[in-house]
This record gives sequence, structure tokens and C-alpha cells, in this order.
Amino acid sequence: MTRKNTIILLLILAIFSFSLWTLLPIDAERLGRKGLNLGLDLVGGVHLVYEADISENATEHARNMNRTITTIQKRIDKYGVTEPIIQQLGEDRILIQLPGFTDIDAAKSLVEQTGFLDFREVEVNDTGRPVTLVDYLQQTQLEFIDKGETGDRVFVATLYDQEDNQEYRTVALLSGDNGNVILTDASGNPADITKLQEYTESLSWIPAKGNNGVHLTGDFLADAAAQIDQSDVVPKYVVSIDWNAEGSIIFDQIASKLYNAGEYGTPQRALGIFLDNSLLSAPQIRQQSYQGSGQIEGNFTPNGAEELANLLKSGALPMPLKQPPLYQEKVSATLGANFIEMSWLAGLVGIVLIMLFMIAYYRLPGLLASLALIFYGALVLALFKLIPVTLTLAGLGGFILSIGMAVDANVLIFERMKEELRMGRTLGAAIEAGFNRAWSAIRDSNVTTIIVCVILFWLGSSIIASAPVMGFALTLGIGVIISMFTAITVTRTLLRLVLHSPLGRNTALFNIVRGKK
Amino acid sequence: MFDIIGKRFWFFFISGILILISIISLLSAGLASGIEFSSGSMLTVKFEAPVEYNQFKEELIGLGYTDAIIQSAGEGQFLIRTHLLSDAEKAQLENSLSGRFGQVSEASFSSVSPQVASETVHNAAIAVAIAAIGILLYVTWAFRRMPRPLHYGACAIVALVHDTLIAMGVFSILGAILGWEINLMFITGLLAVIGYSVNNTVVIFDRIRENLTKGIGANFEVVVNNSLVDTLSRSVNTSLTTLIVVLALLLFVGANIQNFVVVLIIGIIAGTFSSVCIAPSLLLVWDKKEWGRFIPWRRLSDKKA
Repeated sequence: MTRKNTIILLLILAIFSFSLWTLLPIDAERLGRKGLNLGLDLVGGVHLVYEADISENATEHARNMNRTITTIQKRIDKYGVTEPIIQQLGEDRILIQLPGFTDIDAAKSLVEQTGFLDFREVEVNDTGRPVTLVDYLQQTQLEFIDKGETGDRVFVATLYDQEDNQEYRTVALLSGDNGNVILTDASGNPADITKLQEYTESLSWIPAKGNNGVHLTGDFLADAAAQIDQSDVVPKYVVSIDWNAEGSIIFDQIASKLYNAGEYGTPQRALGIFLDNSLLSAPQIRQQSYQGSGQIEGNFTPNGAEELANLLKSGALPMPLKQPPLYQEKVSATLGANFIEMSWLAGLVGIVLIMLFMIAYYRLPGLLASLALIFYGALVLALFKLIPVTLTLAGLGGFILSIGMAVDANVLIFERMKEELRMGRTLGAAIEAGFNRAWSAIRDSNVTTIIVCVILFWLGSSIIASAPVMGFALTLGIGVIISMFTAITVTRTLLRLVLHSPLGRNTALFNIVRGKK
Repeated sequence: MFDIIGKRFWFFFISGILILISIISLLSAGLASGIEFSSGSMLTVKFEAPVEYNQFKEELIGLGYTDAIIQSAGEGQFLIRTHLLSDAEKAQLENSLSGRFGQVSEASFSSVSPQVASETVHNAAIAVAIAAIGILLYVTWAFRRMPRPLHYGACAIVALVHDTLIAMGVFSILGAILGWEINLMFITGLLAVIGYSVNNTVVIFDRIRENLTKGIGANFEVVVNNSLVDTLSRSVNTSLTTLIVVLALLLFVGANIQNFVVVLIIGIIAGTFSSVCIAPSLLLVWDKKEWGRFIPWRRLSDKKA
């Protein structure tokens, strides 16, 4: 019995240490999770729900929804929002959450805009070598290297992820304004030069123009479509494009210029396709003349080819979004930070007052229940971090409420223990009887709270403005379940431990007058 | 030893009055619903310089926002709840305000379309209904071995309807006086209260079940009363610990979850009263079929049981 108790005690200590290790310091990375996951209402940010305008048939619809989401994702990625959430909601709705991004008007125009599609080529210096970012960073006074071209430069880094997938990222923009040349980051803010040192190899892309100086843009495209090219042994996916009459002439002029600018495979020979200054694809020019149509090859997946064709065709969202959004919400970061601080304070004050109350009323068992409560708080917060549970203000409220309810099991047990002692049982027997008899009440009463939490969680998942409801249901539900374990197991183990020590002979510590009722 | 159950008609009397007030208030003043339920926009503006509430209100009325509900939300900060604002309207409002009171920033903004609002009302109603049915089924199941298990379930439901009515009544009064609205957090709080109230009731019913099985007590009335006395300090202590944290929430976090916290406070108090005083009393009245004695003056002629 005592040995078993020691093992449980060690286990409890181990879980407690693990919880503390997980939690402290608060922003440390543990098991791949960094800090507590805070909801939009606490970190500030923008929450939008749009409804798409459906006009196609069902199969078309599902594909277009995916494309719309991808397009929005691309636009938002450029703004460096950390962990944006963009997902489909039900049939025809799109949810967009941008933590930390508090300019709601900018967010809306970013989503609702129609994109700008244009074609670019790589800037070359006097010797015909491609210009990269480092060439500009080395200048003491910024000036365009190809003086004949005064349009914006877009610097694109080619990055590879762990699976060796290639990804383009626009790292900087260079623009001329009344003779001043200014270097900015992708969203137009002043560039951080030290950060750019990582991307010195980024190519400088300048507008591709016809001989008449007209910039080749999406306006000159007549059509684009994903196709399967059967001419090779292994069929592959390509994107075919068709130019309109004027575009056809400009494109051939550009093609012939690039064809002669470098060997096949060199950057000088690539035509960059840009959507809102993001490089989508950089196919090589193979012929001097295309006469109105061409083919973009690459290692396309069917979806990849579809997506590119769609972006080329519309430059815009595949399906229009109804405006204004169905739901919009914005919380400033300062307001959120204030909530976090106050919630911690409320939780702390609550837990301390409960501990004082429990100790004053139940003496030694109350003290042990307080220890169990600390254990409870640490374990639940550690779980919130590891699962992870997104904590909203209401979620924190649910957690704090669960602290008050967590001692309920202890109150039930201690009251029962007192009764058993009054009936003349020994302390040890009373403790065991208290735990055993109180169990059915603890179980049955907690089930009702859990039922409510499940229903609230459903409610939260079924409606739009629902983050608070779900957060509350989740934290309260987790709290109630965990508290059934901590209040019973932890308190019982500690009580058994104390029982076998000299403290266990002092009934005054248990606040009990024997035999009286 | 306390005789709690003997005072059951007084409890019914007190509850009856509270419910009557609630119903009258609900019927006359009704409940003001927030933007989640009725659609509209809510905007919190924060001024650099302190601004008087009355001046602010006058300015808004001057700007044509006669329908707006305005609440002070801390130093130089106001919450405006109004019709669905378009981007242009919002920009114009903020411009006018900064022109009048100086530098203004938008602390929070939310806007709900009529479509989303009606879905929310619909689903919230379903959630409340499912919660009530789920709890009735659960309580009936938990007491399935007792004679007449449905009585336990039904009494628990009456207790929770009692708590819900009182919480709604108080909110209807607060709505009429302070302009408080019910929102999604109100419903969340209400459901939490329902869970809490039934939780309390179940603990007491559990003890009745146990004492009945043991066969202690001369009759059902004595058993019920003993069970109430046995669990009284638990009922009070648990309510106290829960109230402590809820009050801490109200004092420190306040503002944005005020509705929610106030529902919880009302609900915890009403819930404790209904679990201790109403649900077991109903159980007994039902068992003894003494419905006729609901009328207090008829009781005088009867002998006390």
C-alpha cells in the first residue's frame, strides 16, 4: 500500500516537473511548440469571413474554391503575417485570420483586390552578366545599373525547402522616384539591409518591354490553359498561352531579344511571370518567334498547371467574393495584450483566494488540495501548450472558471471524510471511505458539465463568430476532465503520505471534532 | 438539525416572485440583442485626450447616429454599437471624431451581416434545446435504478429553467437600465450555468439515492432533508470557490467578457438556490402529490407533515 503510494507520488512529481519544464520559460520551445497559442482577440489581428459568388456547376466550384484560397494565401504570404489561417468554411465561405496584422482596411483590400500580372526579364550589366541584389548593395549611392530601364526592379530569391522543392520569394523592390532610387522590402517598407545579406544572389527583374516601350502585362493575354503534352515519351503537363494581336507582336520582340541574350538555361534567357510582384514561373525562351501562342513547361503537377493557367487567365481570384464580408473583426494588439495581463492577474488572484479559503476551512487537507490545485494549473497549461489549444479571452475565462470548479471534487471528498470521522471511523479509514463514497457524485456531476462543453463546442464549430465559444468549451472541458484526476489522485496520494507521518496523529489539523454532529 | 425541506413553500414563494419579476421584465422590456444576433457593427474607439461621455454621445447624435448605443469602456475609450457600417461610413465616422476630439485609434471593430446573425440565433437556440434534452436524458439515466427516475430528470430541468429565467430576467432589467445586450458570450455563460446548476442538483440527488438505498430515515421527506443537510456545506463551499474566481474575472478582465461573467454570477447564485431549495422540494412535493399546498394560505389549515 505504502509502496504503491510512493510510486504514484513519484509519478505525480514527474508529471509536475514535466509540466513545469514544458511551460517555463513561457516562450521557450518545447516538443516543437513555442509559447502558448494565443487567439486573435489576445494578440490582436484581423478576422474576415467572405462568401464566394457561385455561378459554376459543383465540380468546377470545388476546384475554384481551392484556387481562390491559394491565391489569397499567396497575397498574404507577401506581407509576412506569421501563421495566417486561410481556409474554406462550409460550402462557399472563406475564413481568413491574420494574427498580429491589425490594419483591417489593408487586409480587406489585399484579399479583395484583383491582382496585377506582368512579365519581366533579368537585368543585365554592361558585360551582359545578370545583375543580382549584391550589385546594388555594394553601391555607395543607389542608381540603376541598366540606365536605359527606369522601371521597378523586383529582387527574387530562389529558396529550397527540406524536400528540395523550389520556391521563389520576392525579397526587395527597387524603385526610382524623381531621380531618387529607393530600396524597399516586398511590402514597400524601408529595407532592412542586414536581413538582405542572406539573399545577395537574388536576381534583379526588370519589366519586359516591346520595341515600342510597352510593358508586357496580363492585359495582352487572350487565354491560358493547362494541357497534357503528348509529344514526349512521358506525357507531361504544360500551360499553353495565347496572346492577343498586340501582345503577339510585343512578345515576339521580347522573345527574340532574350533568345540572343544568353545560352539556353541561363537567367538572361528566362521570362519571369509575376503576379503582384511575386514570381510565379520563369520559363526559358526556346524560339525567336512564337506567333501568338506558346507553351510553359516545367515539372508541373496537374494542379500546379491548373493553378498557373488560372492565375495567368484572371490574375484575380477564380471566383469573386461578395462584399462586404459576412463577418469582420479587428482587435488592436494593445487591447489584446491588456487582456492577457488582466487574465493572468485574475487567475492568480482566484487561485490564491481559493487556496486561502480551502486552508482556512479544511486545514491540512485544504493545504494538500491547494498543492493539487497548483499541480492542476501547471498540467492544464502544459496541455494547452502541447495540444495546442488556441487561447482566446473566453478560453482563459473557461480555464479560470475551471480552477474554481476543480476544487469541487476535493470539497466533496473532504465533506465526506468529515462525516465518516464523525461516525467514529479512524482517520485512515475515513480518508479511504471519503474518496470511495464521493466518487459517484464527482463523476455524475462532472458529466453534466462535459455534456454542456460538447454542445458548446458544436455550437462554436457551426457558426462564424464563434472563436470565443469554442475556446471556452475546450478549456472548460479539458479543465473538468483533468481536475477529476488531479483532485482525486493527487490529493489522495498526498493525504496517505501525511497520514503515515506524525502530522497524521494531530486531528486538529483536520478541523474535526470527533463524535459531534 | 436543520429542517430545510420543511420550508419548501417559502422557497417556492421566493422563486415564484423572482420568476414573476423576470417574466414581467422579459415581456415588457424584452432582451436587447447584440450584433451577433441582430447584425450590425461594433466599434471601440480610443482617444489620446480624455473625452466626456456626454460630449461624445452628443457628437454621435449630431453625426446622425441616433440609433447607436454608446458605452464608456475605460479612460478615453468608447464602445459604439450601431447598424452595419460600410467601409466608407466607418472611415467618415472616424474622421469626424478625430476632427472633434483629436487623435483617435480603433481599438476593436467587428461587423456581422444579417445572414450570419440569423444563423447564429438559429444554432444557439438548437444548442440550448439539445443541452436541455441531453441533461434530462442523462439525469434520468443516472437515476435509472431509483423509483420514478423521470422525476429526478424533470426536477433538475425545472431547476435549470428557473436559473435560466432569472438570468434572462436580470439581463432584461440590465438591458433596460444600462443598455446591456445579450450576445454569444451570454448564451455561453447561460449554458455554463445550466451545466453548473445541474451539477449541484445531481450531487444532492446522488445523496438522496445513497440514503434511500441505505434505508436511513423514517420517510422520504426525512431522507431528502438529511441528504440536503449532509451536502449543504459542500454546496455552499463549491459555490463560494467558483464565485471567487468569477468575481476575480469580473474585477480584472471585465469589459469584453462582462456579460459572460455577470451571467455566471447570477447563475451560480440562482443555481445554488435552486439546487438546494427548489429541486429537492419539487421532488418531495411530486412524491407526496401535495400540489394543492402550493397555495400558502391553504397550508395553514393542514398539519405539518
